[in-house]
Amino acid sequence: MTPGNANRTPARTFPDVCVRCATCMAVCQVSRVTLRFPGPKQAGPGAQRFRSASEASVDDWIELCTSCHLCDTVCPAGVPISELNLMAKAKFLDERGRTLRDWLLVRSDLFGELAARFSRIVNPLMKNGAIRWLLDRLLGIDQRRDLPGYEYPTFRQWFRTRPAAEDRKPEVAYFYGCFTNTNETDVGKAAVALLEAHGFTVTVPPQRCCGIPRLGIGDLRGAKEMGERNLDLLLPTVRRGIDIVFSSTSCGLMLRHEYGRLLELPGAGELAVRLFDLCEFLGRVRGEGESVVRFRPLPMKAAYFAPCHLRSLNIGLPALELLRLVPELDIRVIEAECCGLGGLYGFKKEKYEIAEEIGKDLAEEVARLQPEILLTDCEGCRMQLRQLTGIRTLHPAQLLRDVLD
Amino acid sequence: MKRWDLIVIGMGLAGLTAARTAMEMGAKVLVVGRGIGSLSLFGNTIDVLGELNPETKMESGIRGWIAAHPDHPYARTGAEGIVEALDSFRTLFPSPYAFAAIDGRNSLVPTGAGTLRPTYLLPVTMAAGAAMRREETLIVGLRGFKDFQGDTVSLHLRCRGVTVSLPRYGLEGATALALARLMDEAPFREGLGEMIRQQMAGEKFIGIPAVLGLKDPAGVLKTLEAITGARVFEIPMLPPSIPGTRIFHRFREALIAGGAAFHMGHPATGAAVENGRCTEIYAENPPLTSTYRADRFILANGRFLGGGLWAEMNRIREPLFNLPVSQPGSRGEWFREKFFQPESHPIHRSGILTDADLRPVDEEGRVILRNVWAAGSILAHHQAIEEHSREGIDIATGFLAARRALSA
Repeated sequence: MTPGNANRTPARTFPDVCVRCATCMAVCQVSRVTLRFPGPKQAGPGAQRFRSASEASVDDWIELCTSCHLCDTVCPAGVPISELNLMAKAKFLDERGRTLRDWLLVRSDLFGELAARFSRIVNPLMKNGAIRWLLDRLLGIDQRRDLPGYEYPTFRQWFRTRPAAEDRKPEVAYFYGCFTNTNETDVGKAAVALLEAHGFTVTVPPQRCCGIPRLGIGDLRGAKEMGERNLDLLLPTVRRGIDIVFSSTSCGLMLRHEYGRLLELPGAGELAVRLFDLCEFLGRVRGEGESVVRFRPLPMKAAYFAPCHLRSLNIGLPALELLRLVPELDIRVIEAECCGLGGLYGFKKEKYEIAEEIGKDLAEEVARLQPEILLTDCEGCRMQLRQLTGIRTLHPAQLLRDVLD
Repeated sequence: MKRWDLIVIGMGLAGLTAARTAMEMGAKVLVVGRGIGSLSLFGNTIDVLGELNPETKMESGIRGWIAAHPDHPYARTGAEGIVEALDSFRTLFPSPYAFAAIDGRNSLVPTGAGTLRPTYLLPVTMAAGAAMRREETLIVGLRGFKDFQGDTVSLHLRCRGVTVSLPRYGLEGATALALARLMDEAPFREGLGEMIRQQMAGEKFIGIPAVLGLKDPAGVLKTLEAITGARVFEIPMLPPSIPGTRIFHRFREALIAGGAAFHMGHPATGAAVENGRCTEIYAENPPLTSTYRADRFILANGRFLGGGLWAEMNRIREPLFNLPVSQPGSRGEWFREKFFQPESHPIHRSGILTDADLRPVDEEGRVILRNVWAAGSILAHHQAIEEHSREGIDIATGFLAARRALSA
């Protein structure tokens, strides 16, 4: 028998595959906190049956879907619910038009390098009450949301200027993502340190924003363009037989699955088979037995949160498995489905309260566990956890790097 | 590549029970499923054998019943196996949100259709439903919540019914999950309790849709009982099921804490078989196909909704291993004339035949795959709907399959 010879399903966007069982209604984070969004069953396949390419969109609430993909993961019928939502959102926003804010936010990769260069000026400005008030009123970027600071030098600059490794070891390439590059460079440094400790020479191929922010505003054409550019930049690496790892689970989901499944970009499959989550990759390299790379004991109470896009990657919780190898680290799992930030979603004035409500449940779970440190693979979740709890929040790779023996 | 001791296919109650049992025996377990499983649909109470007369004690009654049903999955587990597996299930739910049988017998509890149904283990939030007396019961509906029609329930149960509204919260179009989340907040449940108290006319029991929170349902119950002075019970209703979601969450929490892994959202669509053993299974997550290797596999992906069985035009097949399926001779015999009738539709008796250890066998009784076991509703020769035995079969066979798989 060969893989995939069973259960052929009809066209992906065929809404009648949905049997209306309401399983998705048990996980939707948005309809759980607001009555403004009818939930995935109604918003996705339910409304899809009434949508027509030739008629104007009427469902303005479609914008409230955060694209967390949790509904897709629980559906017993394999309905691509969030994809139906995304298509409807794209059509709605194409008709209504997008705001200047949306245009700006999804291009943070372009401004990021510049903002990082002038971080000493930019960072205080972004904390300035008057400026935040203006951003709130003029652009609709909610002033209650903490904006992440920029860092200089960027990860890319740091990597370029560090001394090259002498001895040639097996090569692995790293996709760092925009946020690591300009806002959390230490995540990238930790990834490099961990990969090197496990016997690799790390390279950083040229790369662009993965494009997932553009999906957030239903800009499929823009997302496709980003995807095409990245494929041009990354395919030469995988064609040399080199694996690429990512440390951001949302960039990873975009590169590994959305380029192919959603955007149908040529070459996406070729990239996907050589693309790994950082902790997934390290877990594979370490194998089953005793690894030569050990971790020092760390007597500390930590809590791990699994981002929703990690759940969609369907690779289990590889970071948790690595964290469990740290002696004396008391690591708990936060029982919550979603942080609620939804990437740029939680920065938008009209959606801020939804993001905050979803996050409240997560914060309550954290309060119950009382950890000294929080760990999660996604930059969005880290931002949300920091703002909601005030507890030190890191990428698992940062903690693992700190306890390398 | 990682090799698991056991891969459980399916994450309904059977798969979760198998995974937990194996994990507690020290196995490294992976659970794969194409969705979250059936618990969030209709998991509420634990049926074991509802057709057994409520006068009869379950433990003794089921012995005689099994003797009369030698092909039933319960004949594989035996009465002792059922009792042991149920005890194990109950250890996962310590007080206050505990499951218990009333006096070791079946109880009749109200449903969201306004009927009474027999069941065995009840969560603490439903226990009072088994003791309710019609004339002393008030059924409370929530205005704006479409999945529970309090009027219908009270009409059919012949109780008094009221529909309360909480204007401050504006519940029009509220989902079960949204209500459960509100219940977790003290001001909401206290406000609701007060609203109910004002509507009472001396009733001693209050039936309310099963949305008493996900975090601390026993605490919500206590609040409502303290305010109303009556015994309060949840009534199961249309999906999604909040009580079932509680069961799923508890299993998932325990499994992940114990080191088991979950891969959810992509069905196992293929399997490699060598020398009568399954070596690996495949799951598609486009554009990738994931490969999972293990020493043992438990097939617990249910029947038609779960994808364990596949109804083609003229025959029913098992799509993953292509196992023989016990089924009616032709499509014409799948269904009886009327949809609702006391007897089971023959299609519901279809399923996988197994040996005494729950390993799939062919028509001659020969084991087909030496390292594959089957559990839950995919097994042949039960009528879970009419027998009221769904959860009992899931728990007892999931438990047994894991025991047998790990000792093989």
